[in-house]
Amino acid sequence: MKRLLLGLLVVLAPFLQAQAPPEQEVVLSASAGSKLGIALPFPQITGISQGTVTTEFHQVLTRDLDEAGPFAVIQKNLPAATDPSTYKAWTETGTEWLVLTSVTRTAAGDLEVMLQVVDVMAAQAKNAAPVFNKRYTGKEGALRRIAHRIADDLMARLTGEQGVASTRIVFVKEVGKGIKEIYQVDRDGANPVPLTSWHSLTLSPSVAPDGRLAYVTYKGGTPEIWGQRTPGGPQVKIYPVSGKPEGHCYCPSWSPDGKRLAFVQGDRRGNTDIMVMDMATGRVRRLTDSNCINTDPTWNPAGTQLAFTSDREGGPQVYLMGDDGSNVRRLTQEGTYNGSPAWSPSGSMIAYVSRFEGKFDLFVYKLGEGKSYQVTTGVASSESPAWSPDERRIVFSSGSRGGMELYTTDLSGNTLHKLVNLEGCQSPKWTRSR
Amino acid sequence: MRFVRNLIPLSVILLLGVGVACKKPAPAPMEQPAPVAAPAPPPAAAETTNDDAARLKAEADAEAARKAAAEAARLAKFKADAEAALKDINFDFDKSDIRDMDKPKLQAIADFLRTYPDAKIQIAGNCDERGTVEYNLALGERRAHAAQSYLAGLGTADARLATISYGKERPEVQGHDEQSWAANRNCQFTLQ
Repeated sequence: MKRLLLGLLVVLAPFLQAQAPPEQEVVLSASAGSKLGIALPFPQITGISQGTVTTEFHQVLTRDLDEAGPFAVIQKNLPAATDPSTYKAWTETGTEWLVLTSVTRTAAGDLEVMLQVVDVMAAQAKNAAPVFNKRYTGKEGALRRIAHRIADDLMARLTGEQGVASTRIVFVKEVGKGIKEIYQVDRDGANPVPLTSWHSLTLSPSVAPDGRLAYVTYKGGTPEIWGQRTPGGPQVKIYPVSGKPEGHCYCPSWSPDGKRLAFVQGDRRGNTDIMVMDMATGRVRRLTDSNCINTDPTWNPAGTQLAFTSDREGGPQVYLMGDDGSNVRRLTQEGTYNGSPAWSPSGSMIAYVSRFEGKFDLFVYKLGEGKSYQVTTGVASSESPAWSPDERRIVFSSGSRGGMELYTTDLSGNTLHKLVNLEGCQSPKWTRSR
Repeated sequence: MRFVRNLIPLSVILLLGVGVACKKPAPAPMEQPAPVAAPAPPPAAAETTNDDAARLKAEADAEAARKAAAEAARLAKFKADAEAALKDINFDFDKSDIRDMDKPKLQAIADFLRTYPDAKIQIAGNCDERGTVEYNLALGERRAHAAQSYLAGLGTADARLATISYGKERPEVQGHDEQSWAANRNCQFTLQ
């Protein structure tokens, strides 16, 4: 009976999918030969509307898996039923993993989602039981979070990798003329939440591994570093600590262990230098001291080196140095304007922005190869790259006429997704810790 | 007459502007051990007539009006001079050099600050929308300091020249063409 019901819903599934809002811009990457074919028939539902399950669960899980990287979500010519006699038909669609779910809402409003994952090829040979079952529960409104958890569990069980479906993206949004605030959204662009409300120019967020926020705000008249000294704690001024600073402060960047904060400070001659503050002692060390611009500090995962932008040789280029300021060497060799470096989580790559044919595009420098690869080839200018925690994608801002929006791309530039329909967004950072 | 005599010192007090005494309602003279005339009014006041009081008041009013008008004129001239002197200067792409064509503008700002020794200004460095957020904040910083340094060379004390950079975060013009970009690569000077 359950199978029969499920089968009925499968028949409905294509119709329900057709209701997907067009602005979601999900770019489907099926048919990539090296990817794992995965199929997600519409869930069996009890006590909850099809519309809710469609938008809050099925579409969410489909998008999560599609954008995860290793999966090709099979959406065409799906068999109407899911009982073992149909496994051969599922295999013929390219499906390797059949993901069966049910969503139940109790009278009290509690949610229960049952997950069954079937290896359809192995099941044909051995008539085997599902690969794994799992039960998820949550309160009213938790359906999206449950979908993200399922996507991450599938990623872990089927590929051995830690997924990013449950991650969040922190960014800057313009809320009025000259007024910008820090916001946060889920990785799929849902649930935008303001993190600051200073009614001032607020820029350049950085998120520590324990979720602590740091950013720049002009709320006191000049740019200062503000943020959290403790996880979940109040947002306070971090630097300058007291009194009159020597110069304006910009671009905070937490070290990978969250114990140090790199930032940029202007001097009395209009130069800017990279500084590093030890959060425990408050001691600040100057890493660069040259007659030029030094900005955009980004740490390697070991916290032993930083990449940064400097115009010490004329135009802006990306340089590397030790975390004591030693051993400065130039990374980018091509082009007249390179900047916004972002060191990848594994340490093997540095994403950056380069002006190319009058526009700004994303590039990735592979340290092992000593070579750069172009990621975006835009009609628009792309800026501020930041890595996904699993290093599979890059989030960035892009726009042709001022209205910058947030996108993510894989490293080939082939699957580009608009993150969220919000204009005037910049400086995204991708985090597991919020 | 008694009434008038009592009134005169009160009007003098009012004229002198010692309003504090008038703010509290006078206590009702229920029990007054001393006669009302006990604090003898000064002779000058005693001889003052109503006409004299009016004349004094008119003179004071006229003087105050003259002062206010002078102050308003001074302020208007200050504002007009500030508006005339505090003109944006502009920069080439990714540059912070003061252009020859902008040097007379900076001279005008230095002259203005010499004329008004109490005036202080803020120099805001701005960039066009091209290029990265952080590099442009640094470039705006450098532009503001270039203007500050040039003004210091013309004899203006650094302490009167605050600087700030908005990078490309607060464009003056919203367009996305060469003309708008050229306008947005600037230093703006505002009174503090």
